[in-house]
Amino acid sequence: MGRVFVTGIGVVSPVGIGCREFGQALLDGTTGAAEVTLFDTAGLDRHVACEVKGFRARDHMSALEARHVGRCSAMAIAATRMAVEQSRLTSEQLAHDRSAVIVGTTMGEANILGELESAWIHEGAEAVGLSKIARYGTTLIPIHIARSFGTRGMVQTLPAACAAGNYAIGFAADQLRAGRADVAITGASEILEKLEFAGFARLSAMAPERCQPFDRDRRGLLLGEGAGMMVLETEAHMVRRGGVPLAEVGGYGLACDAHHITRPHPEGEGSAHAMRQAILTSGLTPDDVDFVNAHGTGTHANDPIESRVINQIFGSRRVPVTSIKSMVGHCMGASSAVEAVSCVLTIGSGTYPPTINLDNQDPECDLNIVTGVARAGRARVVLNNALAFGGYDAVLTLAQPGVLPDQGGS
Amino acid sequence: MEPIAITGLGVASPIGIGYPAWREALRDHTAAQRRAFGRVSTVLDPEKVGHAKAAEVWDFDASAFLGAKGLRNFDRLTKHMIVAAKLALEHGGVKKDGEFISLDPGRAGICSSTAYGSLDAITELNLVAELEDPRYINPARFPNTVVNAAAGYVSIWENLRAPNVTIVDGNCGALDAVLSCETHLAHRRADLFLVGGAEVLSEALYLAFRKLGALADDGTRGGLCLGEGAAYLCAERLDHAAGRGAPVLALVAGYGTAFEPPSNRAILVHASPQSVRRAIEEALLDAGVSASDVDAVCSSVGGLDEMDSAELSGIGQVLGDRVPVAAPKRIYGECFGAWGAMGMASAVAWFDGAPVGPIVKGEPPRELRTVVVTAVGFYGNVSAVVMRKSS
Repeated sequence: MGRVFVTGIGVVSPVGIGCREFGQALLDGTTGAAEVTLFDTAGLDRHVACEVKGFRARDHMSALEARHVGRCSAMAIAATRMAVEQSRLTSEQLAHDRSAVIVGTTMGEANILGELESAWIHEGAEAVGLSKIARYGTTLIPIHIARSFGTRGMVQTLPAACAAGNYAIGFAADQLRAGRADVAITGASEILEKLEFAGFARLSAMAPERCQPFDRDRRGLLLGEGAGMMVLETEAHMVRRGGVPLAEVGGYGLACDAHHITRPHPEGEGSAHAMRQAILTSGLTPDDVDFVNAHGTGTHANDPIESRVINQIFGSRRVPVTSIKSMVGHCMGASSAVEAVSCVLTIGSGTYPPTINLDNQDPECDLNIVTGVARAGRARVVLNNALAFGGYDAVLTLAQPGVLPDQGGS
Repeated sequence: MEPIAITGLGVASPIGIGYPAWREALRDHTAAQRRAFGRVSTVLDPEKVGHAKAAEVWDFDASAFLGAKGLRNFDRLTKHMIVAAKLALEHGGVKKDGEFISLDPGRAGICSSTAYGSLDAITELNLVAELEDPRYINPARFPNTVVNAAAGYVSIWENLRAPNVTIVDGNCGALDAVLSCETHLAHRRADLFLVGGAEVLSEALYLAFRKLGALADDGTRGGLCLGEGAAYLCAERLDHAAGRGAPVLALVAGYGTAFEPPSNRAILVHASPQSVRRAIEEALLDAGVSASDVDAVCSSVGGLDEMDSAELSGIGQVLGDRVPVAAPKRIYGECFGAWGAMGMASAVAWFDGAPVGPIVKGEPPRELRTVVVTAVGFYGNVSAVVMRKSS
């Protein structure tokens, strides 16, 4: 299996724009939760979410680009620009048909669709803006990125609910290993939108103020938004151009619960399979894993099942576990991509970000949780869990460069 | 790529439901087209959209295939997908009477495309939220607004526990689903996938394309005629198909994709002959076949002049003028994310005796062994697959 490396990362998140700000905020245990400002929550019984604050598309792209793109694509482009700058890829090294763009999301430019429908419902079809129609389309996110960076290889969108980031990153690594591309821009993007917010409120899935993963008194998730993007390269390409690896992409595991559209399988069968596969296909055993970035939504359904699965995988070994959703909220389709960026930062710093808001650990979540403050520790191999709506399970292994065993192949 | 065996096909389309009906309908293109477009839509309310020419999956009754229980909260997209999936699994000999007979559920998955998802479900909830109160939206219907939910419901209904992948690449999605399928089969993440896609008519979709001036409704100019439907192919490694004794209907031998930006950066919607050429060349290379081996093209020519001329130009650049180009969307309409699946299903029927067509360029092929299926996106993205007749 050919090696694939991360050579650049970028993030737009509720706790910071850019990796430095984001990484420090996580280590400081900063919350991104606040009153929703993007839309009116009057009439709903929930009013708090983790919005990206201070994001302006024009800070990250030309006026022409900003005019074409919605907020979701804009955040993806901004995060991509950071990743590409860090990778030090030149435009000549990126702008060709061997560069792919593979992006995850849940609903893409959902706010544009919401505005179109609102105009249609209240004022009729004549009031619907023509330019807005053209700007709607989930498939546009990778298209906009490809246009911005001149890539001419595959452009693909993989909507896999809350597992979309891991789906995209894993699939991008697959394509590099298969020789279908040399470079991939990958990750995921998601925005907060009113109908989504109302829907989660009606599902009684949202906490009123704080997200408290693994806490006995947790009351649900907080919705978030953002984008996490990375540049992946084959080893040959990276070495040839003198790139510097930040992390290596190991294997990943996929499974489907086939159980319930919003609830996880009670025994966590799919998530256990995905975690095992992520470890095995990296050429590792559970003992090699140093840290788990949990899905950890703070819902009653997810946390105990995920805890049981982690303990089932690692046995008596108390692997450190964190849920950064306690800080950034649940960024839906972007969540596992934003968290993959966090994992790369953890690998680089050797410091695990904390799970905040954990006042009383639930006995049913009997894990070695990094609580309160960041903790220094070995971070050679990290698992990134994503266990999504629809029973989509995707677990990704990321590792320090040079740590994963050579499994043969080119 | 390693050739993928197609061992089953399920389809819910404006010209028939189930593979035998599909193949039979494609024997007479004119009659099939009349059947697809010959009635007044039951989905598009004339009071809201006026006279609408659209190809609907007529007389579609999911309960006739799935039973009456458990369907209440499924939207139109989900019902089409589950019916097509169920028919494919039965046709492929994977399931009988609802039970797996030749496969472990943990080794069967789905790679499914849609371009616009459940717009009708989103509209339904937005109507409640905008005109009444967001607190009144039905939580049991909310999951339908998530674009991958329909494929999730397929996995639940059919107990498919291997990877479930949704692809949203506009018109190219169902061919891109082939890449997902091939990738996951190669990594042994499953032994069989339902590969394909679905799209359904909705008033929002219809009004959006009419507003864009892209519809051919009034008959005075070119444009799209909207269709809908779902199609899934059972796709597996050749050795796996042989191991379970499954007859092979066709092979998917190669895949290619390309993107080209517009020369004018101020425009968003465009088509590129270069993308078409590159995608086909890559697919041929991937399949290990040369341009001279291609007997026909199952094109995505659908009525938009700029798109169609770019596609025909790109096809001509690779295959010359010798190879006949068919435009099956003229029979059953533009079905966006389902197109590639419908195109592959058309090719399967051609291999099985239905005539290639309707032909928009060239003459009918004397022999049909290799077909290229193309899909042209609205933004410069193109995908292609090479299909071969099973020997």
